[in-house]
Amino acid sequence: MGVSQMPVAEGKSVQQTVEILTRKLEMLGAEKQGTFSVDCETYHTAASTLGSQGQAGKLMYVMHNSEYPLSCFALFENGPCLIADTNFDVLMVKLKGFFQSAKASKIETRGTRYQYCDFLVKVGTVTMGPSARGISVEVEYCPCVVASDCWSLLLEFLQSFLGSHTPGAPAVFGNRHDAVYGPADTMVQYMELFNKIRKQQQVPVAGIR
Amino acid sequence: MEAPPVTMMPVTGGAINMMEYLLQGSVLDHSLESLIHRLRGLCDNMEPETFLDHEMVFLLKGQQASPFVLRARRSMDRAGSPWHLRYLGQPEMGDKNRHALVRNCVDIATSENLTDFLMEMGFRMDHEFVAKGHLFRKGIMKIVVYKIFRILVPGNTDSTEALSLSYLVELSVVAPAGQDMVSDDMRNFAEQLKPLVHLEKIDPKRLM
Repeated sequence: MGVSQMPVAEGKSVQQTVEILTRKLEMLGAEKQGTFSVDCETYHTAASTLGSQGQAGKLMYVMHNSEYPLSCFALFENGPCLIADTNFDVLMVKLKGFFQSAKASKIETRGTRYQYCDFLVKVGTVTMGPSARGISVEVEYCPCVVASDCWSLLLEFLQSFLGSHTPGAPAVFGNRHDAVYGPADTMVQYMELFNKIRKQQQVPVAGIR
Repeated sequence: MEAPPVTMMPVTGGAINMMEYLLQGSVLDHSLESLIHRLRGLCDNMEPETFLDHEMVFLLKGQQASPFVLRARRSMDRAGSPWHLRYLGQPEMGDKNRHALVRNCVDIATSENLTDFLMEMGFRMDHEFVAKGHLFRKGIMKIVVYKIFRILVPGNTDSTEALSLSYLVELSVVAPAGQDMVSDDMRNFAEQLKPLVHLEKIDPKRLM
C-alpha cells in the first residue's frame, strides 16, 4: 500500500489532456497495465427518518475501486469510512426506504493504469452520466505505507510529468502524517475530488484544482 | 507487481437473493455433553470449534411501523476477524408443509469501525449479548450450540450473566432462494438428533 495523490488538470479538452499525460508517462518509460475504474454513488437520508433524529440529512457515499474488486467502501464526509464486501450493495437495496440514492449524481473515473518502477500511476477521465467533467490522476508509491516518509519523493515524481499542475499535500494527511496509510484514505481523496468536480458547472477552459 | 484482474466494471454484489433456512431447539445444561457427542459423530470430521461472539442489534426507526434491524457481530476470541453485519428479513409465510423457517438474509463482512458507521447512518443500539458455544458443519448445514449471556454493564463484555440454564441449538443453511429441498435435508438431519433435542420451526411472531 502506498500513498496516493489526486490532482486534476484541465487543458484544451479532457480527451486531449489525458492523451498528453499518457504520452508523457510512456516517454518516461511507464508500462501500461490494464485499466482501472473508481465509482461513487450518493445516498441521502430519506425525509421520513429525519424527524426522529432532529438533525440535517447526511450524505453517504458508496464507492467501488477496481484495485479492490471484492470490496465496497461506504463513507460520510468528515466521518468514518467503512470497508465492507460487495454484499453491502445488496444491503443498500434493502435500505431503499431509509436512504434514497440521488441517481443523477453517480460519478466515476475510468482510465489506464501505468506502472513505473515502484510507482503506480492511474490517469482517468471523470464522467458524470454521458459527459466528461475532468481528469483524475492517482499516484501510488507502493513500497511505503507512511505518508510523511515518502511525500517529498511523490512530489518530485509528480513534478516530472505534471509540471506546474502539481498540487499540495492532500487534506487526508492532515494531522496524521505518521499514521499508516490505507485504502480508506485513497477513497476519501477520491470522494473529495468527485465532490469538487460535481460542484463545477461546466468543464472550464483552463484551470487547476 | 502485477496488474489486478482486468475488469471494466467493478465487481458488484450479485442480485441473487440468499435465504436462511432455520430450525431451532434447546437443551438443558446437563444434556450438553451427550448432544455434543452425538453431533461430533454425525457431522463433518473437523477440529471441535468453539466460539465467543459479541452481538449488537441496531434499529433504524423511520416512518414505517417496523424499524429496520441490523445485527453486528464480532468475534471476541479470534483477533483480526472481520466484523459480521447481518440483515434478516421477515419469515416467508407460505407453505405450511415447509419444514424450516425461511427468511431473506444478507451477510456482509466489514471493517472494525462498523458500530461508529451504523451510528452515523442513524442506527441506535437496541440490545446486545454474548454468545458462547460450539460450531459444527455437515455439508452446507451449520449447527450451533450456544449459551446466551446478558451483558450487565452496556459495552462491558467482561461482566456477563447467563440468560438461562440451557443451550440454544440452531440448524441453519444459507442458500439461494427457491431451493426447498434444503428444508427436507434439514428435517432428516433433525430426526437424527431426537430425542436429545427437538429442532423445530419456531415462528418469532408467535413469541411476541
